[in-house]
Amino acid sequence: MNAFADSASTFIDNRPDAAARRRAWLLFEETGLPTTSDEVWRYAPLGDLVIDRFSVPDAPTTQPDSEFATKLRQRAGVVVRVVDGFCVSTGEMVEGLTVEIDETGDSLSGETLLQRYESDSFALLNAALAPGTTVLRVAAGVNLAQPIVVLNESSAAASFPRTQIVLGRGASATVVEYFEGGADALVVPVSEYRLEDNASLGLITYQRLDASAWHVARTTGFLARDARLHQAVVGLGAHYDRARNDAELLGAGASNELRTTFLGSGNQVHDFRTRQYHVAPRTTSTLLSKGAVADESRSVYTGLIEIEKGAKRTDARQTNHNLLLSPQAHADSVPNLDIRENDVVCAHASSVGPLDELQRWYLESRGVSREDAQRLLIQGFFYEMLSALPPELAELVESDVASVLASVDVVST
Amino acid sequence: MTSTLVIEGLRVDVAGREVLKGFDLTMRSGEVHAIMGPNGSGKSTLAHALTGHPGYQVTAGSVTIDGVELLTTTPTERARQGLLLILQQPFEIPGVRAYDLLGAAGADPSTLRARMLDEAKRIELAPELLERFVNVDLSGGERKRAEMVQLAVLRPKFAVLDEIDSGLDVDALDAVARRLRDATTEWDCGVLAITHFRRLLLELTPTMIHVVSDGRVVATGGPELAVTLERDGYEVFRGAGVPETR
Repeated sequence: MNAFADSASTFIDNRPDAAARRRAWLLFEETGLPTTSDEVWRYAPLGDLVIDRFSVPDAPTTQPDSEFATKLRQRAGVVVRVVDGFCVSTGEMVEGLTVEIDETGDSLSGETLLQRYESDSFALLNAALAPGTTVLRVAAGVNLAQPIVVLNESSAAASFPRTQIVLGRGASATVVEYFEGGADALVVPVSEYRLEDNASLGLITYQRLDASAWHVARTTGFLARDARLHQAVVGLGAHYDRARNDAELLGAGASNELRTTFLGSGNQVHDFRTRQYHVAPRTTSTLLSKGAVADESRSVYTGLIEIEKGAKRTDARQTNHNLLLSPQAHADSVPNLDIRENDVVCAHASSVGPLDELQRWYLESRGVSREDAQRLLIQGFFYEMLSALPPELAELVESDVASVLASVDVVST
Repeated sequence: MTSTLVIEGLRVDVAGREVLKGFDLTMRSGEVHAIMGPNGSGKSTLAHALTGHPGYQVTAGSVTIDGVELLTTTPTERARQGLLLILQQPFEIPGVRAYDLLGAAGADPSTLRARMLDEAKRIELAPELLERFVNVDLSGGERKRAEMVQLAVLRPKFAVLDEIDSGLDVDALDAVARRLRDATTEWDCGVLAITHFRRLLLELTPTMIHVVSDGRVVATGGPELAVTLERDGYEVFRGAGVPETR
């Protein structure tokens, strides 16, 4: 992996915190990229990943916003712009919100990034190669009415965006993390969210990368007492779309609602993993993954609910519905439970099959064609997730989703 | 132009059991017909089979609008021929709004929003409820009112109402009945109301009442038949087999 290693080495040498980055890089080199014999990567087309094709940029490429990004910008309250992982604009100042670039290499878990991600090759790359961490902080008690949009645009060969969102006690905010670009590129974002007591974060991750991109993302929420994280993760783009979304429910009464939705077409692979880690009592997690695969695309959903001893009266639920739109498409679903406490409610359900026949009939009985009915219902998977957004922003994302769906063959027979 | 709906010798199986056993009915646009009968007589099966519900197997018979056979066509095509079913329990369709549904059903997008708002006002449905996903987080009454908005936009030749009066408060029932009655003159809509109760019929005033028992029409008559039914119950019609009047 010479070209990649050389550019990485140059990049690291030019950073102020080169030593810590170097340690992450060395650990990555030692571990190497995962292979499909590794259980957590068994569905990834890693054989296609030639990392030497990518080089690490030492500065952001200059490029204008896409048409969609421009519209997002017009409708958002605060826009933070990140190009190739470099935060190029922290947006206008809003009372109670600060946006800064952090170069300490700390994770919101309290560990260093290196400690936190030592067993995850891609996250290690991010620890070594992200230009810095874009940190959004909402002060205690502040309720940000306007949504914050983090525009992540990638045009370089490899980019490593890193975002941290911190909500003080009782704060609330809505954030959209948007990803676009990435033609023939590797995009490896790491995001962390820390919610102090009774904070509430509505989060929408909207991944619209180029169909040739490799996207390997990881997010982790750290939730204190009575904190609420409502997270929606939408995967539409990328050749390989990997999204690992974890939450640690550390304070009593914390709750995490996570919805992931994807649409696969061509030969895309959507690989969603979740881990809901219940540490404190009376915590709840509700996971709903709904996706559709067309053409020769594949999807896998692997969800782990882990409940520690003492996390009494935890309520953890996981549901996964996959829709096959072509005989060549394939979906796997792997729910896992690891429970070390008796006084809990836990449920999981998964299905792979066609759309709800009766819902489709209802639409058809109004005069909607079968194809349009299928499209409306699949579109509905996505629309349902956008309810956290103010209408003008939801409308924009909805029309973008609709435009993607319009190009996908949704009727297999 | 007057349209005619003709149901002839309709036989339908549900889960392998014959529920409709040769059902006949003819009605014209602008008319209101009521279908009454005890539970299990096949009333709801008729409504579902007419619109091609996947759980209902038609084994014999014919259903036509102006001579065009519907039973061999898709639910979509039946709707486009002018048939619309309003269900007892309208489905929730998460993620789909009435505006998108009606647009996909062929409503003119340039006037759709305005028409929906007009109709919502007419049926006394709060306009913001139109922005919700179809029937999601709506009360029973709001659902029926929202379905009336759909009906008024789609303007079917024949509307089939499957016990829409059950679980409906009196205000909602009257509003729905008034809207349907207006539809019979506004665009000559034919209304086929399946019901248990006379309340709906007081407002709707049917031209004909059909009594159904054991999968067949056993009696057909004018509005006075509803009075007889209320007084004597369905028992007198059981096993009658042949329509008394025609």
